[in-house]
Amino acid sequence: MFRSTGKKGNYAYTSARVKAKKSKLLREEDYNKMLMMSVPEISHYISDAGYSREIADLATRHSGLDLLEYATYANMAKAFRSILLASTGELYDMVLAYLTKWDFWNLKVVLRGKSYGLAADQIREDLVPAGKLQEDSLNKLLAAGTIEDTLAVFSAMAHVHFPTEILNSYKDTHSLGDIEDYLVKVYYKNLLELFGTDTRPSLIFRNYIRSEIDVLNLETVLKLKAGGILGEAGMKYYVPGGIEIDEKLMLQMLTAPDMKTLEGSVAQIQIAADIKGVLPTNPTMQEIVAAMKQYEIGLANSVAHMYPLSVIPVFDYMIHKENEVGNIRMIARGTESGLDRETMKTLLVM
Amino acid sequence: MTADVGTGLIALGAGLAVGLAGLGTGMAEKDVGAAAVGAITENPKMFGKAMVFMVLPETIVIFGLVIAIMAIFVM
Repeated sequence: MFRSTGKKGNYAYTSARVKAKKSKLLREEDYNKMLMMSVPEISHYISDAGYSREIADLATRHSGLDLLEYATYANMAKAFRSILLASTGELYDMVLAYLTKWDFWNLKVVLRGKSYGLAADQIREDLVPAGKLQEDSLNKLLAAGTIEDTLAVFSAMAHVHFPTEILNSYKDTHSLGDIEDYLVKVYYKNLLELFGTDTRPSLIFRNYIRSEIDVLNLETVLKLKAGGILGEAGMKYYVPGGIEIDEKLMLQMLTAPDMKTLEGSVAQIQIAADIKGVLPTNPTMQEIVAAMKQYEIGLANSVAHMYPLSVIPVFDYMIHKENEVGNIRMIARGTESGLDRETMKTLLVM
Repeated sequence: MTADVGTGLIALGAGLAVGLAGLGTGMAEKDVGAAAVGAITENPKMFGKAMVFMVLPETIVIFGLVIAIMAIFVM
């Protein structure tokens, strides 16, 4: 899927660029101001905060919430691509591999859109062309007739093989669940296979990705618990490769009858200790998602400080940028649907 | 013109002092310069600060030069 360039990356240059970009991201006071605004006012406000080109380009074709949604994702994709194009050597390989996350995201968006019978233009609103698949490839995905055809087109473009049991499961149930779970596993498996432990930069990359897998697995367990799902059934969501959470611990956490037993079984792992402070006693699904996102942001931030000349500052910026876009879209959607400000404030991740 | 071994070694030492210090400076400036250009690309107002950080490693060469001068003229 990737061809390694075999050259050392330009870490100093790229890290300085992403740090400068990160310093321009929106702050808490900006979000507080945006909470008091209407959707056109939010569009105007963010156009002064770095989104002006996308807002101006798209203003002739879209307006209101559509304009804001298109512009934010277009801006994010452009920012990520610019970092990719600025990086060289092994850093380029790592950034490109990490950005394939958006290829999987785009496939999920297309599959969900098609399964709900949405028009191609409606699906396009949520696409982020930041990965390997650019506009032409995404148009091919959108043009594919059925879910099976879409998977075949993606498989040919991204070199991802879908096992027969996954395809059969979709045929039987018409649920995208198994396909989506498989995509998450393939993404992380590819990342861990591509970068070994032979060089220091790839070891840093690998350890960070493995920490991300731990966060993902813990989030899965907490969500299942909040949803009242107990037992081994949750093991199908387990993503292998984490540092602290192995298959045995995952099973132990899943079979814990209540949160107290769960806390006992994860007491020895660092991530649980870190998360305890930000998670309430009986968290709701929303609180779990917000707390885990908060933890992910904090993790990227601290690892980026630990390894300033590595790929991590790039990931740190990307996570912050993604969060900024998520916050803007949440405020805009909330404002449009008449959600009260206090609820929106609790949904903000800062 | 004849010169003794001691004078030759002093000249060699002076050369090494400047040469090795210059090499160290170059290695340090490689990353500082790349980071400075990256920061200026995103924010041209950073030029002044970037310039200050850029010249900091050059002090190492001055140390080397001082040692070389001392070696040649004082010893």
